[in-house]
Amino acid sequence: MSSRATIYSFLGIGLAATLLLIVAPVAYAISLSFYRMDSFVGTPQWAGLDNYARVLSDWTFWRALINGFVYSLGTIVLQVVLGIGFALVLNQVFPFRNIVRGLSILPYLLPTVVVVLTFKWMVDGSIGVLTAVIAALGLPPVSWFESPAAAMTSVILVSVWMWTPFVTTTFLAALQTVPASLYEAAKVDGTNAVQRFFHITLPMLKPILTVIVLLRAVWMFNKFDVIWLLTQGGPVGATEHLAILSYKTAFSLFDIGGGAAIATISFLILSVAVFIYFRLFPLDTD
Amino acid sequence: MDEKDHKSDLSRRSVLKVAGALAGGVMAGGLAAPAVHAQGTKTIRFLNAETSIDSIRALKVAAAEYERQFGTKVVIDSVPLDGVFTKVTTSLRGGTPYDIATFAFVGHVLILASEGHLVPLNELTDKYKWGPNILFPIDGKVYWYPYDYNLAWIYYRKDLYEKNKLEVPKTWAQFLNNAQALNGDGRSGALYPIGSNGATNWLSPGFMWAEGAKIFDDKWNIVFDSAEIGPKVAAYLDFFGELYKTMPSGASQASFGEVLSNFTSDKVAHTAYAGRLIEGLERNNPKLADQYGIMPYMDSTGKHQAVNHGYDGWVVLKTPQSDEAMKFMRWFTENQYINFLHTAPLHFQPPRLDVYDDARWRAHPLIEKHNAAVEEMRRFLTDKNIILTSIDTQGPTPSLKPGKIFEAFVFPEMLQNKCLKGMASAECVKVAADRMRQVIA
Repeated sequence: MSSRATIYSFLGIGLAATLLLIVAPVAYAISLSFYRMDSFVGTPQWAGLDNYARVLSDWTFWRALINGFVYSLGTIVLQVVLGIGFALVLNQVFPFRNIVRGLSILPYLLPTVVVVLTFKWMVDGSIGVLTAVIAALGLPPVSWFESPAAAMTSVILVSVWMWTPFVTTTFLAALQTVPASLYEAAKVDGTNAVQRFFHITLPMLKPILTVIVLLRAVWMFNKFDVIWLLTQGGPVGATEHLAILSYKTAFSLFDIGGGAAIATISFLILSVAVFIYFRLFPLDTD
Repeated sequence: MDEKDHKSDLSRRSVLKVAGALAGGVMAGGLAAPAVHAQGTKTIRFLNAETSIDSIRALKVAAAEYERQFGTKVVIDSVPLDGVFTKVTTSLRGGTPYDIATFAFVGHVLILASEGHLVPLNELTDKYKWGPNILFPIDGKVYWYPYDYNLAWIYYRKDLYEKNKLEVPKTWAQFLNNAQALNGDGRSGALYPIGSNGATNWLSPGFMWAEGAKIFDDKWNIVFDSAEIGPKVAAYLDFFGELYKTMPSGASQASFGEVLSNFTSDKVAHTAYAGRLIEGLERNNPKLADQYGIMPYMDSTGKHQAVNHGYDGWVVLKTPQSDEAMKFMRWFTENQYINFLHTAPLHFQPPRLDVYDDARWRAHPLIEKHNAAVEEMRRFLTDKNIILTSIDTQGPTPSLKPGKIFEAFVFPEMLQNKCLKGMASAECVKVAADRMRQVIA
């Protein structure tokens, strides 16, 4: 087989897989948003744009959208800032560095369900180990989920704990590509560590940072499992974002079309955001 | 290796040959398959949602026995309850439907029945007398065979009551007084969940039902905030707001597990659950297994009482194997029903009233030991003064409408507005009623 045939073969397999596993399901989900259906065994009735009109006129949609932005922004900023900070520390030379580097990735390796259930039991109001420690210290009990703000903060903190290692590891790997000679030259010029970070490290790692922020933004905006397992969107809808609202609408409220409409709008919002992001921070700067 | 070499390794002809051989093989296999199936054992598929080891084992033992007696293989698949409806609808869409499935929500039964996917089970259910509000007939046809009432009632600590000289409460004020009296010394007065989850919908509305609250009138209008019902719900919220102050922090996250563990580990003096809590005490804290008492939810005046039901049962789907599935269900419900109930002897509260007098059922050691509780559970079904209802079964007939209100967690959010946001009770009721109207629109 010629090299061109090989290329076309692999391209064909890739395209077929993309069509079958991504394009077709997305197209199907979008098509569902134009129908009224109680369940997947019900008879679909054409609804046109009714589902979209209904969803967009529902205040819970706008609440979920705002919650999604708060959650995404909160988790991304903290993950990136902490992740870069940890990467810079782990890039230094110190005893047992390799062991510490290995341990730092641990939260990312744990299954979400394990992390969330462990956290929930640790902060349980009666028998949680953190509750017991706080009580032993004579401090007032912490309400981890008892108010909308506390619940959102808890969800963000758990998410940051789980996924900061991804930023750390990626950034740490990228740090290895910055030539040491640049830092040495800057030191000779009398720059301090902060100046070297902002004038050498950050500009050199801008492309990888662009990708990290983009990936984290997409993943966090669509993140379902951690919020579902922690709060199911509560209390009073305070942690319900579009992914949760879409799921609840489709599978709990027996409104498949409405759920699909929310998912489609969410997809469009994300697509537009990614487009704008790449316009602002193009990867290929030449 | 150059292009020539590549061509010699994998020519178009050789690719076509392999593809042809594969296609031929697949076709031959496909054509042969029906003949193989026709010669084989009949098989029916049973989707179970009771995932305890004992329940799965009991079903598998029954399946093996049935195959031994009748030659029909019964395949038991088990999934958690949350995944049952999705699994059943997916199997229907995929063309390989389950023949029997477990459901715990009348809305799911209704959807499948209205689409013609269920077989009426009247010939099985008509043989017995059943407790109230459990068969959910649709146009006179019963589409499921219940095995568990899942009633939620109040648990209290008899030993603490005796020690503190407290009376068994008959009104909200007395109950609140008892919860406040037992709040402290490393123990909370009560735990009733308020999170957006099924536990809250199940365990916390009982006081409201006892007060006479309802969601719909006979024409499916929302009457939750009407002049008659609204003040009752507001009074319930005032009471619950005070009760919340005796609860441990984390009530907004508490679900089934937290409720069980808090009472079992002596961390709360009052809570609500079904019989699984007694089983949990026996298993994890036997000392407390002799110290609990149960009672229905009470109203503000001491005149009315209520229990909140969940429920579980089996449906038979219309499939090519429906006749075989019905045959199996006929055999299973006659011969194995009590064995299955015994896998959670105090939790699976029989909806069939004959079971309470069945010596085989009574013979289970836990049922014998907790006879007082079992008799009280029976009274919940037979005492005409006890209201037996739930959010998802409100309304004049079985419908998806209350199910949507259940799943939208309108009731938990009402409690959260009261307890977490400090909203006035009347406003909480109004917000909840408006949300109910929006959800069912």
